[in-house]
Amino acid sequence: MNSPAFRKDVQEQLEAIGQVDIVVGIPSYNSARTIGHVVRAVQAGLTKYFPGYTAVLINSDGGSSDGTVDVVQNTTIEDFSAILLQHRTEPFYKMAFPYSGIPGKGSAFRAVFEIAAALNAKACAVVDSDLRSITPEWLELLITPILKNDFDYITPLYHRHKFDGTITNSIVYPLTRALYGKRVRQPIGGDFGFSGELAKFYLTKDVWQTDVARFGIDIWMTTTAIANGFKIAQSFLGAKIHDAKDPGADLSDMLYQVVSSTFGLMDGYAEQWMQVQASEPVPSFGFEYSVGLEPVKVNTARMINIFREGIDNLHDIWLSILGAGDLREVERLGALDDRAFRFPIALWTRVIYDYAIAFHQRKMPAEHLIKSLTPLYLGKTASFILEAEHMEAHEAEAEIEKLCLEFESSKSYLITNWK
Amino acid sequence: MSDFLNLILEPLQDVFHKFKDFAPNFLAMLVILLIGALFAWLLQVLVLKLLDTLQFDSWSDRKGFTRLMRKGDMWGKPTLLVSAVVFWCTLIVVLMTALSALKINAIDQLVTQFFVYLPRAFSSVLILAVGYVFSGFISRAVLIAAVNSGYHYAKLLAEAIRILLTTLILAMVMEQLQIAPGIVLAAFSIICGGIVLALSISFGVGGIDAARRMIERQTAAEEKEKTGEDIEHI
Repeated sequence: MNSPAFRKDVQEQLEAIGQVDIVVGIPSYNSARTIGHVVRAVQAGLTKYFPGYTAVLINSDGGSSDGTVDVVQNTTIEDFSAILLQHRTEPFYKMAFPYSGIPGKGSAFRAVFEIAAALNAKACAVVDSDLRSITPEWLELLITPILKNDFDYITPLYHRHKFDGTITNSIVYPLTRALYGKRVRQPIGGDFGFSGELAKFYLTKDVWQTDVARFGIDIWMTTTAIANGFKIAQSFLGAKIHDAKDPGADLSDMLYQVVSSTFGLMDGYAEQWMQVQASEPVPSFGFEYSVGLEPVKVNTARMINIFREGIDNLHDIWLSILGAGDLREVERLGALDDRAFRFPIALWTRVIYDYAIAFHQRKMPAEHLIKSLTPLYLGKTASFILEAEHMEAHEAEAEIEKLCLEFESSKSYLITNWK
Repeated sequence: MSDFLNLILEPLQDVFHKFKDFAPNFLAMLVILLIGALFAWLLQVLVLKLLDTLQFDSWSDRKGFTRLMRKGDMWGKPTLLVSAVVFWCTLIVVLMTALSALKINAIDQLVTQFFVYLPRAFSSVLILAVGYVFSGFISRAVLIAAVNSGYHYAKLLAEAIRILLTTLILAMVMEQLQIAPGIVLAAFSIICGGIVLALSISFGVGGIDAARRMIERQTAAEEKEKTGEDIEHI
């Protein structure tokens, strides 16, 4: 079997461990600078909140060349009294190895699922390796609802700057909520808790040679859990601060990865989401508090400029996706003055639904289709930034709520045109 | 007198003998043509039914094949076009086979040449079809990428790339069909060389100031972009 859980050296370690209660996975790739802090936070969290549970930390690495695996192996908390913790009563294990399969976060997670299944774990969590704001409490918040409240899947709730996470806020959250009827605020948060049963269920799905293995794992885990009726909750983790992103990362590539994964799942779960009307909140854990956030610099003029370039150059592509009526409305926006630029939420909702339908009908290659959404997305983002410029965080959140309600009330448009 | 009569009759006998030899071949040609035409028609009907069952028209609409036809001023249904192509291709092959039944040297040579040329014609059509799709794909990818980078002349750039690729594909097709390959190669080299030279001159000599301004603007925009925005989209 082509799986890290069944490689000889890993197999020997698993046999030595036998069985555990908790598995914590950290997927990584060249994260030597940051992963040490994450490992310490995980170890402290497991010691502080789960001293009576056997636990294993798994670093599923994508072949780092900067010594990430060595950092994981060598990092430990020598003096627990310094952080006011008791020593564990149950053993804590650590495994670090390169995963097999297609390079990507999904393959790294698959290794975690397989080890969780092999060790018959009760609860699991996965956290990013570049987190700077992770604390031991994150472990408690992601794992306790599974061990003690019988939940199967825990998504994170973060405090983020009102201008951050715009792909989540304007596409993934409203769409996932309208489709599957659960108000999961961070469906692609990246840090999740899940039960051992759900890990085994994930392994039954034949997706490990697809884009799920590369980049679509976050939305796939969330959607699979919701659409298959697993018990879902979310935990407030505070601020999410992580290492500076790769400056070469292209927005349209990011958009393609996230949106194509979301649209792809719509095909597979069409029967389920067509039955869903409206949405309901999911239970939340954790104590919500305000977090001081770094100011975010934005350049709305550049965004609106790209939106206008889209109008001038992508007319034929947009016409085939949006139809003449909505395209006329989009073109009308292009003529507005920068300060008066506003993208109506009803139009944005139809744009996303039209793109989902075009993706479903394979109107053009998926990458071209979704990358042609970039200027429209930047127009919507610029509009939101201009609108929310002087708003408090809760007021900006209220605007996102309005957008979600629009997605829900217009869902019949999607269903009617989905053939 | 009898010699004179023989002189007249011999050519007539020759013609009669030749006709006697030729008549069965001619009959065979007619039979092959008739059966072949019937077979081509049957094949057309079968292909039409099969494509209808497979909903080829809707597939063509989705994949852009119908749009391609409309661009070529063809307004019928895609299923009808494909079945008509199948019919005529079969009929041409049947015609060539029928002609070879006449067993006339000149026609035999023509038929042989036709069948030797057939793979070239087929591969040319294939190059043309794949090339058309490929150039459209690349040109659209360039257009979208250029727009997303905020490049003002995106459409112009995409169109230039499409024309360049189409020229390359047409040169490949003509080379494949062996239509004046030397001239095609020379013309293609001259055109490509000319384009590169024209660009070099316009940017290097004629437009030093414009090129400098463009590069400065681009660099300034990149710098501004690097420092002017730190929004996290995910």
